[in-house]
Amino acid sequence: MTAMIDVQGLSKSYGSKVGITDVSFQVEEGDVFGFLGPNGAGKTTTIRLLMALLHADAGSARIAGLDCWEKSVEIKRFIGYMPGEPALDPSLTGGQILEYFAHLRGGVDQAYLEQLVERFELDTSRKFRQYSTGNKRKVVLIQAFMHRPRLLILDEPTSGLDPLNQQEFDHMVKEARDEGRTVFLSSHVLSEVEKTCNRVGIIRDGSLVRIGDVAEVKAIKRYEITITFANAVPADSFKSLDGVLEVEALNHGHGLRLTMQGTADAVIKAAAHYPVVSLVSYEPSLEDIFLRYYEPDNPPARDTDHVA
Amino acid sequence: MWLSSVFLKSLRDYRIAILGWGIGMGLVVVSPMASVAALVTTPAARQQLAAIAASFAWNADAVAVTTIGGYATFKIGIFIFLITVWPILAGSRMLRGEEERGSLDVLLSVPRPRLRVALEKLAAMWTALLAMGVLIGLIAFAGGRQFGADFGLGDALLFGLDLALISAVFGGVALLISQFTEERGPAAGATAGLLLIFIVLDMVHRIAPNTEWISRLSPIYYYNLSKGLIPSYGVNAGAMVLLAVLAIGLGGIAVWLFNWRDVGGTVPLPRWLRLPERQASRVLPVADWSLRSVYARSLRTITMPTFWWTLGIAGFAGWMVYAVQLLETKLSTLLSGNAAFTQLIKNIGGGDASLNAGFLSAMFVFLPLFLMAFAVTQVNGWSADEQDGRLELVLATPQPRLSVLLGRFAALATATIAISVITLLVCAASAAASGLQLNGGNLAAAILGMIPLGLLVAGLGYLAAGWLRTAADTGLLSFLLAFWFFVSFIGPELNLPNATLRLSPFYYYGSPLLNGLQLTSILGVIVVAALALALGALRFVRKDIGV
Repeated sequence: MTAMIDVQGLSKSYGSKVGITDVSFQVEEGDVFGFLGPNGAGKTTTIRLLMALLHADAGSARIAGLDCWEKSVEIKRFIGYMPGEPALDPSLTGGQILEYFAHLRGGVDQAYLEQLVERFELDTSRKFRQYSTGNKRKVVLIQAFMHRPRLLILDEPTSGLDPLNQQEFDHMVKEARDEGRTVFLSSHVLSEVEKTCNRVGIIRDGSLVRIGDVAEVKAIKRYEITITFANAVPADSFKSLDGVLEVEALNHGHGLRLTMQGTADAVIKAAAHYPVVSLVSYEPSLEDIFLRYYEPDNPPARDTDHVA
Repeated sequence: MWLSSVFLKSLRDYRIAILGWGIGMGLVVVSPMASVAALVTTPAARQQLAAIAASFAWNADAVAVTTIGGYATFKIGIFIFLITVWPILAGSRMLRGEEERGSLDVLLSVPRPRLRVALEKLAAMWTALLAMGVLIGLIAFAGGRQFGADFGLGDALLFGLDLALISAVFGGVALLISQFTEERGPAAGATAGLLLIFIVLDMVHRIAPNTEWISRLSPIYYYNLSKGLIPSYGVNAGAMVLLAVLAIGLGGIAVWLFNWRDVGGTVPLPRWLRLPERQASRVLPVADWSLRSVYARSLRTITMPTFWWTLGIAGFAGWMVYAVQLLETKLSTLLSGNAAFTQLIKNIGGGDASLNAGFLSAMFVFLPLFLMAFAVTQVNGWSADEQDGRLELVLATPQPRLSVLLGRFAALATATIAISVITLLVCAASAAASGLQLNGGNLAAAILGMIPLGLLVAGLGYLAAGWLRTAADTGLLSFLLAFWFFVSFIGPELNLPNATLRLSPFYYYGSPLLNGLQLTSILGVIVVAALALALGALRFVRKDIGV
């Protein structure tokens, strides 16, 4: 079976600045694939190469077996695309933008388009320049979904959306997945990818450093727990607990900062032996994870081939 | 150093415009200087030139037109609308443009008073205009020296200062109006409309007696009171001070309003002037014709600019056709038995022909120039759209890149043809109304023959946009336009080699009103335009978008 997206040895640089280097991955039809990476890692470059907005220096990118550059028009018939920084004619209204793109796509199901407008409660009479950031995202999101594409390529789609609309977006992705459509979305928010995707690729400094199922990638996720106690507690007694990677004593032993990976069950049970004043759990940003997991003296392992 | 203050940063942003506009306008001023020596070879010709200029006084004051400075001042009278294009655009963009882009929010987040930020930006625009004025003055002085003019460096610089002041006034008007509009485009359009009104108001007193009080309502009247290139006339210090006060006043009010209103909002209008409250809606404009294709959308976008340019070009051409008939009797009297006058018409118009056609030919040389300037402004939109990322989503639809580019070009070509055809109809109607006998074929050739020149500029613009960013693309095309104009209208006087003269498309346009269209030449222009477009398209279909 042909993969929906097949990228092999893809490289792109902008003069002396490297965009991506030798990136290879596959996304199967029906997958919801999360493309994770910190800012400037190469996510948008990869996406723009898939959309034939950029020409690759080396390697190949194919969608549904078709070369992304050579057959870009054919491919775009079944792709819905949402750029990371949408720019549209500011003098057009939201409604005009949606109708314009509907025509450029050769026509769409108007009833479905109206349904999407209702769903996102979009005021279509306002000019694009008058929209808030969130409403601008809604317009672009609707145009990506309005022709029921086989493949959705979404660059940081929930950035700027309020929680309610993020939830609506999650529902739409779920519906797309249930209908067997493929979604390729980039993000720098790990929890968002965990929630919506079944497979994940992680890119850093232009190189793909890990790819696999969400559950596997979760394994790299670290978090911190800060516990404040009424009395001083022995930090050493927490060091050997399951899931604890590091322990740092705070405030003369009245507090502990624990770096965790995995479940916190053992820590909670151990802390229960002492009078706890407060307990705060903090999920580090993806950047934090990268800084720690892929720190320079621990160069990223190219383990992309360990997961099928 | 250039990024150490808002003033310097803004001035840095204007550096290309200062050079491009300054040099371009300087060349426009120098262009007529070359021809005047040839026009006044005998006392009779001198007398006739003065008489003709007096007959065209509606255009500009005919003062000392037989001198180099006087003739240049007279000839560039009509160019006031061209000279003020940049300040109008700069004034409307200065605050409103930045608000549209959202960049002003960041700038105003720094611990610096909003008033100061606006004042620094305004000061930068004034400094840029002053620098342009100095550049124009220096080029005018150099041109004057070359052709033996009697004005000095100080006179030329005062001439440049007068230009800078009138530019600052219209920049101030645009800045002020932009405080009341949500977008910069309507502010620029409204200012351009006001400019046209002020030009007409200024003309009134030269056409109708005892109407000077009407002309005094126009800032252009005060600009015209100073004629730095005519030492015997000199400058009117009072008028220049008035322009300076006007510029400072307009800019000051605009900055005060900006300091007081919401960023991103507008100055609230009185209730009776406000548009009705807009109701939220989920309706989709399914029947809107302009959303059906890239071509239709581009055509809709270009409609308003086309309307204004048509008004200017067709209005100018129609008025010339009408005016030349009114002058016929007077000029025929002057002409009787005077070979020098015939030579004069020949020099201006480009060849032997009837009096009327000769006159018209002389004035019609500006039509292709205007149409090419229109093409420059529209090509600018193409590169700006790519630079600002507005092509990205269009190219994410199943539209071939070639279709997108050709759709845009076709819309521009349609507008160019529409302007030309309407101009032709207006001229024909004007000729019929005034009873002027013109060779219909030559009139059609003269007006429709400028279409390939407009398309040539468009083709070159699309080609250059493949590599250059918007400002550089526009700058290059503007420079080319000024260069071609210079080569064609000064080149012969400087005895430039024929090979150099052939670099200008005006050479191939020729004098169609007198001699008809040189089919081979115009086909050559079409081939070059097509080649430029083809290379531009080839580049566009292969290039990285938005890089």
